[in-house]
Amino acid sequence: MAKTIEVTVWATGVVQDKEGRDVCLVLTEAANQEGKFTQAFDNYVDLPDRINVQVRKYARISDTEIENKFEYENHRPNIIGVTEATIMKGINVCKGLQEGGFLVINTTKDPEALLKYVPEKERKKLKAVATIDAIGIAPEQLIDYSGAEGAEDVSAIGAGLGSVMAGAIAAVSGIVKKESILAAAANRTAAKRGYDEVKIKVLK
Amino acid sequence: MKERYKKYTVDIPEDMKIPYACIVESPKVNGEQPQMLTGGWRIYRPVVDHDKCVLCKSCILACPDATVLLVDGGQKIGFNLDYCKGCGLCTWVCPVNAIDRVPELDFEDGVPFQDALFLLPHVERLYAD
Repeated sequence: MAKTIEVTVWATGVVQDKEGRDVCLVLTEAANQEGKFTQAFDNYVDLPDRINVQVRKYARISDTEIENKFEYENHRPNIIGVTEATIMKGINVCKGLQEGGFLVINTTKDPEALLKYVPEKERKKLKAVATIDAIGIAPEQLIDYSGAEGAEDVSAIGAGLGSVMAGAIAAVSGIVKKESILAAAANRTAAKRGYDEVKIKVLK
Repeated sequence: MKERYKKYTVDIPEDMKIPYACIVESPKVNGEQPQMLTGGWRIYRPVVDHDKCVLCKSCILACPDATVLLVDGGQKIGFNLDYCKGCGLCTWVCPVNAIDRVPELDFEDGVPFQDALFLLPHVERLYAD
């Protein structure tokens, strides 16, 4: 049976709302170009969007048609992206992680410095942890509510740190090729730098 | 004079006294709403410089979550970090600039660690191996 790769991206509400969604959209758009079945959606389960609240964005990439298409939450993700490292201090971002999962964090620190915020149970399942200074490469682009909550998205997909994170996730996990990421992201330079400058620590 | 009006006064019990500015304190550690901890939202933590602080209590009035407290018998300003969202209003209203905003990752502790947000019992099995 073909496996569906599930990606969960944690972001801060309103400020990085669009950026978190851009990570999922760039990844799924890139996978679409490779002929895969994809799905990208927001979290509708627990919280309304408020400034700096922890929000989740999801993506699914599969070789065959996605069976759990109408299940709007990734309970067993393979890849975790964190667009603001401070989120990890207050919540277990790796909850339900599958064996051999990846963790990609936006921070200036080294990967070892943030591993202490992952509980022992989830740390054993991590295959690699990576950090990327995404805000240093391309900061948040969201000034208004463009593209949020069903509104029309006038800014391009992947204009800010979303494309950097998507490039870093592609480099760490290899779910999509570099060329597809560069074709899908609006900010090609940022996506390329994210792919190249990510700091990876392989755990097993 | 005092003796004359004594029969009209009532001794209010300690738990019925009205707090400063009628502000109800934020819940204590894992108190009333353990699933609504907002400390995890905080990116910048407020840190008070007690030498500069003049105890004007502006920050107590400004805090939207009533997380600014008087500690040490009313002699110092403290914070209930379980519920402080790090909005920065206390820094903004402080007339003597005594409250700094320090990145939360510079500290070892101070944020309540949650396993999940709003985890309901029937959802827990979906996370299981």
